[in-house]
Amino acid sequence: MTIDWNFLWPLGAAMVIVLGFVPVAGLYMTFIERKLAAYVQDRVGPNRVGPLGLFQSIADGIKIFLKEQVIPSHVHKSVYLFAPTIGLMCAMLSIAVVPYGPANAEPGPGFRAIIAPGVDIGILFLLAISSLSAYGIILGGWASNNKYSLFGATRACAQFISYEIPIGLSLLGIIAMTGSLNIEKLVAAQGDGIVNWNFWWQPLAALIFFVAALAESNRLPFDLSECEQELVGGFHTEYSGIKFVLFALAEYTHLVTVSFLTVLLFFGGWHFPGLTGPVDATVAGFLIRWVVLAVKVSLVVAFIMQLRWTLPRFRYDQLMGLAWKGLIPLGILNLLGLVIVLTFDASRWWMTILSVAILVLSGMANVTMAQKRIQRKAASRMAMETQYS
Amino acid sequence: MAEYFPILIYLVAVIGFAAVSLIMPHLVAPRKSTPVKDMPYESGMDVHEDARQPLDVKFYLMAILFLVFDVELLFLYPWAVSLKGEGGVPVDHRGPVFVVMMVFISTLGLAYVYAWKKGVFEWRPK
Repeated sequence: MTIDWNFLWPLGAAMVIVLGFVPVAGLYMTFIERKLAAYVQDRVGPNRVGPLGLFQSIADGIKIFLKEQVIPSHVHKSVYLFAPTIGLMCAMLSIAVVPYGPANAEPGPGFRAIIAPGVDIGILFLLAISSLSAYGIILGGWASNNKYSLFGATRACAQFISYEIPIGLSLLGIIAMTGSLNIEKLVAAQGDGIVNWNFWWQPLAALIFFVAALAESNRLPFDLSECEQELVGGFHTEYSGIKFVLFALAEYTHLVTVSFLTVLLFFGGWHFPGLTGPVDATVAGFLIRWVVLAVKVSLVVAFIMQLRWTLPRFRYDQLMGLAWKGLIPLGILNLLGLVIVLTFDASRWWMTILSVAILVLSGMANVTMAQKRIQRKAASRMAMETQYS
Repeated sequence: MAEYFPILIYLVAVIGFAAVSLIMPHLVAPRKSTPVKDMPYESGMDVHEDARQPLDVKFYLMAILFLVFDVELLFLYPWAVSLKGEGGVPVDHRGPVFVVMMVFISTLGLAYVYAWKKGVFEWRPK
């Protein structure tokens, strides 16, 4: 058997970039998040190790490896060790079909900024693999043999599967418009100018996707699975050292994937006004597109981190209510509008109008209903008071 | 299937990455277990009863509903891919396909309304 180097070297390069970048990005995102948290709370944050505290992440990394490895005696040992592995595996594997730099719709020879180019079922693969992460959480919680862990894991799992449905519903629109599940093709379809970004035609879907994806990656305000005040650490209460870090790394990997997907699917990916033609025609063009993508993704990451210090955490019934009573009906209505517009070949801008109309009308209906509920409660309280006075 | 070969190689690499980072600290780091360290961490209380107890039935209902919706969603994907573009639904078949999809989505809606009326989405007693 001969080794095909033309096939292997781009794959190897792409893999080295992802496997090298993700852990470092995870460590440095922790650092940035701590710094942001500090500034929001009028503190300084980590500033002792290296200039501006920049080597803090490296110190953390070394510490993780040298930390004592505790495996408590009451856990189911093999499952306990397997859970963080499967969590990280699913998070990392879902990146395989996401282009992390400019990539042509038709995979050519040479370097490509994606591990598995030209996978026709890209989005389905992504959804399938990322929903497997629920196993990491539930196995970890069960194996820990700790009540907090089990509660956290059950909560997280219910949250996870609930928000899976809005994600699936919100992506149907752009898939129907492009006629492909391949992420490179979905990005290529947004190539001609800023008005072609899917966001303009599917603003409601973009909102649903972003909120649901935030909940999927267990970020605040949706981090009910590990809320400290109620559950100690949630499903990773019994995990420490490298085993905890694998869970944390999986979470940050999810965050990176979500940010990339938001940009790639709804905000034009590496496209920007003035950049036309195939992505790898010139080296400069390739690099500029990469920078454009990186800037967009960083903005989304920064936005997610700011959300953490802006919104308080949801209550559990509110969280499940948002998925089942909020996002899913909105997603179905959005789907109906889209089917009608696409089947009857109306202008695509009708989708924008319908999206906004659905959002505004459902918001108004919600407010009216809430007002009526409050009035009813007040009336019943009045009746009680007159009865007993 | 050639497109999926990189994923296989990558999968092996990722499993290797996770396994190495799990095993490495066990070789380097100190280990010294004490009876207290081995206890479950439940806010410093002594543990009583097994942690693995029956859960609220709500979680099972959620799982069943998830299956219903997710499987229906899976059927929507092939339709979405073939809605437009070449090789998709021919123009003169669009009407029937539209009607079929409306019936399909309305059964989904019916199941949804039924679950709501049954109170599956109520997490707090009224």
